[in-house]
Amino acid sequence: MSVSDRLLLARLCERDEEAFSHIVKLYGDRVFNLVHRFVGNRSEAEDIAQEVFVTVFKSIDTFRGDAKLSTWILRIAANHAKNRIKYLARRPGVGANEATEDDLPSSHSRSLQAHMPAPDALMEAAELGTLLEQAIAKLDEDQRLLILLRDVEELAYEEICEITGVPEGTVKSRLHRARLTLKALLESHTR
Amino acid sequence: MSAHNCENTQAEFSALLDNELSDDQRRVVMADVRGCSACAAALEEFREAVLSLSQLKQAAPPTFLKDVQQQIRERSKGRFFGKRFLLFGRIPFEWVSLVMIMAMLAYYIVTMQSSPTHVTPVP
Repeated sequence: MSVSDRLLLARLCERDEEAFSHIVKLYGDRVFNLVHRFVGNRSEAEDIAQEVFVTVFKSIDTFRGDAKLSTWILRIAANHAKNRIKYLARRPGVGANEATEDDLPSSHSRSLQAHMPAPDALMEAAELGTLLEQAIAKLDEDQRLLILLRDVEELAYEEICEITGVPEGTVKSRLHRARLTLKALLESHTR
Repeated sequence: MSAHNCENTQAEFSALLDNELSDDQRRVVMADVRGCSACAAALEEFREAVLSLSQLKQAAPPTFLKDVQQQIRERSKGRFFGKRFLLFGRIPFEWVSLVMIMAMLAYYIVTMQSSPTHVTPVP
């Protein structure tokens, strides 16, 4: 753990409000992005991300400091997101897939987008973003989490192992399969 | 020289992209890719798919910090921020439990010593 992390942790353990605000500013975007991409629904993601920081604040005393603070927070985020998906899947009529569709354009506009030539780079990027979101949503939970941690959040393998609790060799082989699946999904969309 | 196998070459693409291959392994994979148009195309598509994911970054809503603070205040009924216990920053449960165990032990020893060692039968 870095010196700045230690100082921040000491202030967090003293329930320093400024330190808490600092930590939300520091990691809020990453936590929100991870849970949003994982559950595929913005309002659920906002709720989960808030819950993540409430958990961080409540259980900061249990953080032993043997990992980076960011890794610990992202592990909490991943667990909350997984639990929410399970919870949504149990609720009749509100499956994870249904939630995923909330953020995506309608199939009509998607098919229009697919046939219309993009007028500029911005449009192309938005279209690619939508395709990527759709492809990620189709991955299974484990693959999705690995893709998000490695290729979206750009974390080191060591951190990914700490977050997922999976050995490095397994992470690498699962990630490779996830990338191949994603590539195949993107190809099927663009064909 | 071993015969080229597309499946074996493409199995190394993730490690290649993550710079996880040794120099020798990298040279072998790149030589295979240069010598096989199918592998070259597959590598290009694989690289594009993986690198495009880094654009999926987005910020939390602008009110996020305020919302989290609000949540914490509501749930702790305003008591969360600031020291939770005047002297220690938090209630030292481990010390409290240790003191209680010691006190119970002392009480047990004292009562054992003061109690009669033999019981006189009731007439």
